[in-house]
Amino acid sequence: MFKFLLLVTFIPLFCSSQGYQVNLQGQIQQGMGSAGAAFVQDASGIFYNPGGLAFLNSNEASIGITPTFANATFLENGTSELARTISPVGTPFTAYGMFQLKDSSKLKLGLGIYTPFGSTIEWEEGWAGRFALTRLQLKAIFFQPTISYRITDKIGIGAGFVYTTGSVNLQKDIPLLDQDGNYAHAELAGKGQGFGYNIGLYLKPTKHLAVALTYKSQVDMAVKDGTATFTVPSSVEDKFPSGSFSSELPLPQVVTLAVAVTPNDKFAIALDMNYIGWDAYDTLAFDYAVNTESLEDTKSARNYIGTIALRLGVQYKISDKYTARAGIGYAISPVVTGYLTPETPDDDRVNYTLGFGYVINKSFDLNASLLFTQIKREDTNLETLLSGTYKVRVFAPGFSVSYKF
Amino acid sequence: MSILVKQFSLISSVNFSVPNVSGASVGVNLDSNSRLILGYKTDCKGETSLSPIREAQGGDVSILGSNIYSTGFNNLGVPSAGVLDINQVGYGNPSNGIGNYNPYFARMSSNQSSASILLDAVSQNPTFFTIELGEADLMTFAKSGGTSTSPPVANGTMGIGFDGSLEEIVSALDINGAKGAISNVPDVLSYPYFTTIPYNGLKLDVDKAATLNNVFNSLGLFFVVGDNPFVIVDTTQAINVRKMVEGELVLLSAPLDSVKCFGMGSIFGIPDKHILTIQEISTINSYQVGYNSAISTVAQAHNLAEVDKKNLITSLSTGIVYNGVSMSTEFVTGGAFSLDGRNLNPSGQALLANLYIEAINATFNAKIPTASVVNYPGVIFP
Repeated sequence: MFKFLLLVTFIPLFCSSQGYQVNLQGQIQQGMGSAGAAFVQDASGIFYNPGGLAFLNSNEASIGITPTFANATFLENGTSELARTISPVGTPFTAYGMFQLKDSSKLKLGLGIYTPFGSTIEWEEGWAGRFALTRLQLKAIFFQPTISYRITDKIGIGAGFVYTTGSVNLQKDIPLLDQDGNYAHAELAGKGQGFGYNIGLYLKPTKHLAVALTYKSQVDMAVKDGTATFTVPSSVEDKFPSGSFSSELPLPQVVTLAVAVTPNDKFAIALDMNYIGWDAYDTLAFDYAVNTESLEDTKSARNYIGTIALRLGVQYKISDKYTARAGIGYAISPVVTGYLTPETPDDDRVNYTLGFGYVINKSFDLNASLLFTQIKREDTNLETLLSGTYKVRVFAPGFSVSYKF
Repeated sequence: MSILVKQFSLISSVNFSVPNVSGASVGVNLDSNSRLILGYKTDCKGETSLSPIREAQGGDVSILGSNIYSTGFNNLGVPSAGVLDINQVGYGNPSNGIGNYNPYFARMSSNQSSASILLDAVSQNPTFFTIELGEADLMTFAKSGGTSTSPPVANGTMGIGFDGSLEEIVSALDINGAKGAISNVPDVLSYPYFTTIPYNGLKLDVDKAATLNNVFNSLGLFFVVGDNPFVIVDTTQAINVRKMVEGELVLLSAPLDSVKCFGMGSIFGIPDKHILTIQEISTINSYQVGYNSAISTVAQAHNLAEVDKKNLITSLSTGIVYNGVSMSTEFVTGGAFSLDGRNLNPSGQALLANLYIEAINATFNAKIPTASVVNYPGVIFP
């Protein structure tokens, strides 16, 4: 009775691209379609390619932010009632620091703090999928101390240790009406942490060509002692005991092969190809400390597939002070037919980006970028049978300031 | 019906009058009881549990006290109206005496003595109509435990048979080429009213089994520790009682306090009116088959949209998932039926309304949007 399925995932694919590979970790790269593992220009290489850091020759500190405006709509099949999200603006940020012990040292040390998660998706009150999801907030901060070494003038390697701390808050309605006409509600909140690494190889065989291979490991985010809170009519409170739960979420591995061509001092082209190991996400399980006939542990099939993303960017130096950038990305969705959910209205997508750089003086740089993407996908979820068409639009302007010393 | 009208009005302006009852009223049924709500009930053993209870001591009989007809109602769905009642003049005439008229129609008819439901419908020159007939005929018989008069036979002339009467009704509505939709008849015996109490719900401990065996073994009835079939009244038996057999149904009307504390179903039999026997079930099933065949024939002859309510109920009896909500024919928790166990609740009605819309869209090449079922309430919990 009152069988309650927590049919949820908490991967916010929503932000700008597939999964935790949100790729809003550097304004230069963002301006260039998020390509740049072989085009390391600043300390954001800590994220994009630790092996390329060793080819930079300065100490640097930078901070950046990319306010992300994402709106989704859902039209249930057959009906004429359009549901909208009322999500707050996402604020993924970056902070990088890079140091060398002496000028032109072969060894660089760095620390990156970045938020490859950080989106909130919230659907308007009373929407058709409220028993699947009403709100999902996920925050994750990655801390990555990094070391990079230039073996020769043509080969650099780097490695970073990743510590991740984050929180999740997931809410949905339960189809039990109380006397006031309100539906019961479930809120799952928890903190989790995980570990991983980020390694990169950077090759520069000629002045005009760079090649990169990087590997970001899978990070398993474990929520061990989350809090499940059920607001239900008093007559069924015993069936929905609030208490603790545990769950785990794989943040997939990413392999990147990249190339950058710089035919002259003004012009650069960067191309990245990512393989993202989303196939790790085959099941989402919730284990409740206390089970009842209405509140059983759940295992929901996700059956994601490993995917490929291609990213192409160009940069043109207008003058010593001004730089213009543009890029395009194409990412295949890991969500197969029958598994689309309101927290991950995802599809194969094209990202369009523009970027702009300004050198204030020899110490300070400003970089800005703009990303736009949209999707439209119709699906019937096999578990909830929520059937309809999702449309998503994302608009993400960002800027960063860096200080070289 | 109101869900359908709401959806129709999304694509064109619809004036549709309904003989509504104030939402503040506790309602009234044919037995003058108020509507059911989910509340706490203490049984004969002093155990309190969640159970359907009457919202008030008595029903709001003022609802049925007067005729509220002014310009005619578009919704002419009258509770309990059978196929033979539709064209019966004076069906809403109180002077026919209690039991010989329908007080709901008395409230809404254009003329209590000279109107019939059909006349009131035809007088509006309908351009579109929906018909759901046959279920009430089977339900009236089934909910009486097979003790009421038999439903109309499937085949016979108007006023006698289901098919003849239905053809007469549809022909009258269709006279100016109106379009319409018609629903088939579901298996009413899969409704919670008939499936909630198991036939073998007589649980006996060692002492009780021994006591019953002492009394009944000599009469040929034997009891075991654990689950036993209930004992029911059966006047064809020498001792007037027998044990139920698998497949027979106990109705939700069975007085559970008598069963739990006063030996009904064990020491003495559950009365016939609370039981459907194999033979009665078979009768109802064969009527259902005959009615559906007639409905299909009439629908095709008049090019009506055919609504497969039968299939909806079959799906619900095994359980469906809709937008993350599990719905089934299970009593209270199934979320699709009202607390009387015999009617769809608003959520269930929305599922049915969508079937109407899909059938209408398919038959008449229309594009009426369906309703979002989750916007319609189910059972309310205290």
